[in-house]
Amino acid sequence: MRIVITGGKHEADFIVSMLKEEHIHQLIVINQDRDFAEYISTKNDIPVFPGDPTKAYCLSDAEADHADVLLALSDSDTDNYITCITAKRLFHIKKTVAKVRNPKNVELFKKLGVDSVISSTYLMAQTILNESSIENIIKTLSIEDEKIVMLEMEVEDDFEVVNKRIMDVEFPQNINIGCIFRDPHVIIPKGNTVIKAHDKLIIISTPSEQDEIVEFIQKKR
Amino acid sequence: MKRNKFIVIGSGRLGSNIATQMSEAGEDVIIIDATDDSFRKLHESFSGFTVVGDATDLSVLENSFIKHAKTVVITTDSDNVNIYLSHICYYIYNVPHIFVRLADTDKGKLLEGTSIKAIYPFTLSLSEFLMLYEEGDEK
Repeated sequence: MRIVITGGKHEADFIVSMLKEEHIHQLIVINQDRDFAEYISTKNDIPVFPGDPTKAYCLSDAEADHADVLLALSDSDTDNYITCITAKRLFHIKKTVAKVRNPKNVELFKKLGVDSVISSTYLMAQTILNESSIENIIKTLSIEDEKIVMLEMEVEDDFEVVNKRIMDVEFPQNINIGCIFRDPHVIIPKGNTVIKAHDKLIIISTPSEQDEIVEFIQKKR
Repeated sequence: MKRNKFIVIGSGRLGSNIATQMSEAGEDVIIIDATDDSFRKLHESFSGFTVVGDATDLSVLENSFIKHAKTVVITTDSDNVNIYLSHICYYIYNVPHIFVRLADTDKGKLLEGTSIKAIYPFTLSLSEFLMLYEEGDEK
């Protein structure tokens, strides 16, 4: 993949070293800070362009057109928006990602056409919400803008569902056990699969049903 | 919903003069600027409202009746902010008439496919110069 990384300091540095390890990506760095641009360029053997990525000629100098991904990591939300929209409209870059400081801009930027918007405050708030609704044995992952959640739950000896076939358990609505991890096996369950103690269930559901499902699985005998 | 507000964002020389003239012409004008001091440039005949705040914050725009705006004129000193605000007014609030001042003519490409109208001081100055130059030539 051709990836353009604009703005940001330690973020850009970290992402460059992470992506470089995969060896399959072609990286292009654009940074307004000349000293930082020089630092990245001496540390890594990749093209680095000192300049303002909100200017079209800068993206053009960096030969960024038709790149697969562009990351906008500067400290200004507005500049990141302009960089992404310029990349998208004038340089046909397939996917644009903007970092924002103001969490309220996450929804707004998406409506305006930025493909992916990252706010550390927004993520933190989501994590706190997820953590507070459930106990620590469960891990959750939200996908598709919080419309789907994936839970990982461990079945304990005294749960009601132990030694029952999935088809015999009257699960709440909007639940799907996508996978069972029974060390060392990974089972894709069918109706006649029996749930055993110490199984790890990977459950796919909606956020509104999440609490109900956790309560249901944890019902004791 | 009635759209009858005339909103000016950025109370610099241009913004404050547009606001004053439109107010004199009887428009219901609201002018937004990040600093209170900027409103000193408004003429005393200005009878509209002033709002102190960062217009890139949607709550500031909404408190300034953006949903009732018939016209928005954007004249902050940053092209990036101006384009960003014009996109918000056009795509989110569907404001019918949007005017934006841009220093960099290249940035105008980001307005293609919209009804947003750009004002370029550069182009205006250049044609003014050429006109004055030709006038001087004739004499």
